[in-house]
Amino acid sequence: MTIGDFAATANVPITAPPETPKLPPREWVKANLFSSWFNSTLTVVTAVLLLAIFRGLLGFLFNPERQWHATATNLRLLMTHGYPEEQYLRIWVCFAVILTLTGISMAVWRAGSAMPLTGLGRKLVATGSTFALLTVLAPFSTRATVIWLLITAAVAVGGETLRRFVDDERTMSTLAILTITLAGVVASLWVIPYGRHTYVMHRSPTTLHEPGTVALSTKFPWTIMLLVAVGAYFVGIFLRDRLPANPLRGTLVTLWLLAPPALVFLVVRDPDFDTGHVVGTDIPIFLAYAVLGGGLLLWLTRPSTGEIGRIVAAVVLLAGFATFLTPMRMIVRIDMLMLAAFALAAPTFAGGPQARKRYTASWLGVLGVTSWLITAVNTPMTVDVPRDFPLGGFSLTLMVAIFTIVFSFPLGVALALARTSTMPIFRLLATGFIEVVRGIPLVTVLFFFSVVVPLFLPDGMEITEISAVIVGYTLFSAAYLAENVRGGLQSVTRGQHEAAEAVGMTASQKTVFIVLPQALRVSIPPLVGHCIGVFKETSLMAIIGLFDILYIARNVIPNQFEYLGSTKENVIFVSLVYWIFAYQMSKASMRLERRTGLGER
Amino acid sequence: MTDTTTTEPLGGQAKDLSGARDMIVCEGVSKWFGDFQALDGVTATIREQEVVVVLGPSGGGKSTWIRCINRLEQHQEGRIIVDGVELTNDLRNIEKVRSEVGMVFQMFNLFPHLRVIDNVSLAPIWVRKKPRSEAEEQAMALLERVGIPEQAQKYPGQLSGGQQQRVAIARALAMEPRIMLFDEPTSALDPEMIKEVLDVMKNLADSGMTMMVVTHEMGFAKEVADQIMFMEGGQIVETGTPEHFFSNPTEDRTKLFLSQIL
Repeated sequence: MTIGDFAATANVPITAPPETPKLPPREWVKANLFSSWFNSTLTVVTAVLLLAIFRGLLGFLFNPERQWHATATNLRLLMTHGYPEEQYLRIWVCFAVILTLTGISMAVWRAGSAMPLTGLGRKLVATGSTFALLTVLAPFSTRATVIWLLITAAVAVGGETLRRFVDDERTMSTLAILTITLAGVVASLWVIPYGRHTYVMHRSPTTLHEPGTVALSTKFPWTIMLLVAVGAYFVGIFLRDRLPANPLRGTLVTLWLLAPPALVFLVVRDPDFDTGHVVGTDIPIFLAYAVLGGGLLLWLTRPSTGEIGRIVAAVVLLAGFATFLTPMRMIVRIDMLMLAAFALAAPTFAGGPQARKRYTASWLGVLGVTSWLITAVNTPMTVDVPRDFPLGGFSLTLMVAIFTIVFSFPLGVALALARTSTMPIFRLLATGFIEVVRGIPLVTVLFFFSVVVPLFLPDGMEITEISAVIVGYTLFSAAYLAENVRGGLQSVTRGQHEAAEAVGMTASQKTVFIVLPQALRVSIPPLVGHCIGVFKETSLMAIIGLFDILYIARNVIPNQFEYLGSTKENVIFVSLVYWIFAYQMSKASMRLERRTGLGER
Repeated sequence: MTDTTTTEPLGGQAKDLSGARDMIVCEGVSKWFGDFQALDGVTATIREQEVVVVLGPSGGGKSTWIRCINRLEQHQEGRIIVDGVELTNDLRNIEKVRSEVGMVFQMFNLFPHLRVIDNVSLAPIWVRKKPRSEAEEQAMALLERVGIPEQAQKYPGQLSGGQQQRVAIARALAMEPRIMLFDEPTSALDPEMIKEVLDVMKNLADSGMTMMVVTHEMGFAKEVADQIMFMEGGQIVETGTPEHFFSNPTEDRTKLFLSQIL
């Protein structure tokens, strides 16, 4: 067969495959649920079992003995622990910043898709009838049952109307559906009398539970948050249509990475900067490193510098280690080590004037951000909170999880690379570290870092319990992450290594441009599984006495005078919160897999 | 000049290579995989602009030899000198040789996570330190040369085998190599795609590139080669021009091989 023949066959009009007819509901049920004796028995038994389980569950949840007021009144305690009421605006600002970033990112990365209205109708019918069934099962009062049946019937009828009378072609963006749903929830805060719950922390704790809609301090900020998110989405569309895609996306990713430390250390803590110290010490150190380091990197990235550059970089690294031998400010040491890392990587990124400028600019950016954050962290906070850390409850859980994941990621990748490297010392150190850490329970690691490590610190150096936890947890998580990444590294074929070597790439170029992108893509499912694990296991912090959400739910609220013994309700609520976040991560991973599967056949 | 132990080449068909300088010199190259000796004292010289086709049965050491020339495999005895640079353990020499020698693999080995144009322009940008715009312009020109400029924005997985192999050739050419090595470039292709790849290789040979090709395509060997080397058991059994090799071979093993495939 010649190429001509091949083209000729390709021109034959393609006949579509015959459509599999969709069974009407009654026949679908017959074909799938009652196809045989055995199948029918199974269906009936399972249905009865499910009904019994749901009836028991609903009976438990809506039992008049349940103290759901305990959870409702203590929502703020669960979310932020002891953060002072009068400073709460800071929390909302953080939330608004994150929602702004989310809105813009959703527009820029084109989140959401078009959903046919008939499909939406089907979903509404399913939701309505399911909830109607649950309402019948639940031990509600007659009045409540009637109200709920009316609501669910309205949803189902609305869905059926959409399904029958709307054109098949009409679609609606899933984002619009989400926004309308959220707007409905927020509007209900203003209209429906959920009851007004307040917990007054100061002096003798008292709780207030009055009828009426929720407190203004709840419904007003949430309304603003919704408006901020929607507004940010439109700003995102505006930016997406007018700016080039790659720099915009790069900026957004940088902002996302900067957001957690900036929000925690600048907004929530509100550092009280000592201007004299900043001007006299921090800024001069920054300027010295910016000018000297920038000049050094400009020289190192010149292709003509050659071997001397590598020697100079090694000298900078030795100088970085040497700074630990004499007393000096920690920031000088950290900057020196960072400069050494940049200097060692410089030959890999050497190139024309544009590449050199970009590399030096990235050094200035990293240096600036690090100096700013170190200054912020070292400055006392103005917000007056118990246990000298502003966060507690779920915000502490989130912070520890985010910092641990973000820090352990590069560390884990580095460990995996070291373990697979041909250099015996790196391989030995990495293997030893991973095997030792994997053999120790997380609780032990957390104890060690919160109790033992502070004993070894030099005089005058302190580490807060949270920092100790994050450091220990990061090391622990990195060891596991390294093994996941190593699996990905091994899946990159020998041929890929050879192809990269054959075009003359150095080992580091091969790793950065060829091996890691492919390895990380393969490792997405285990990596996301690991992230979910890290997020959930933050609850072990309670063991060393930190007030995370589970600890508050189990030990703090049930000890309040009004809510003695309300553990069950709180723990159910906390599991729901954990599940929502873990499920979102899981869905994000599925989206990521689909998106990165682009190049595959 | 060299002390080749094999028969002197009888000269190319069209090209006059008498004054050309040596591009690849191998002297007594040996290599073992464990106890198995893959190369056994291979000695050969390949001159500038020469097209050498290496034939022979599977397991004869052809691929091992060609992979030794850009140090994807390490030889254990003898010397390999590529364009005046001897291959030793010195990393700088290896990187220098690799950027002078292009290699095309049997399984293409394109980078699946990069678009075709990035596959071609990546090495010029980061190894040759070219500005991105210039490298992409060159990549488009090369894709034009191998006949698939319209595929530049696609991913390798979306191309046919023949198209992938042509991208692989463009990727190797983007480094502006002085020598091209082909390790069974058509063995993984469907019959109708072999021709499009061989055509690109012929054009490359006509443009005066020094080439070393391991292949089972006898038609290509007859038509394009200046010199044919027959390898078996890790040794070069016979060397000669295509006319000599196909019509008048001297060695018994060569005759046996030809009788089995022709």
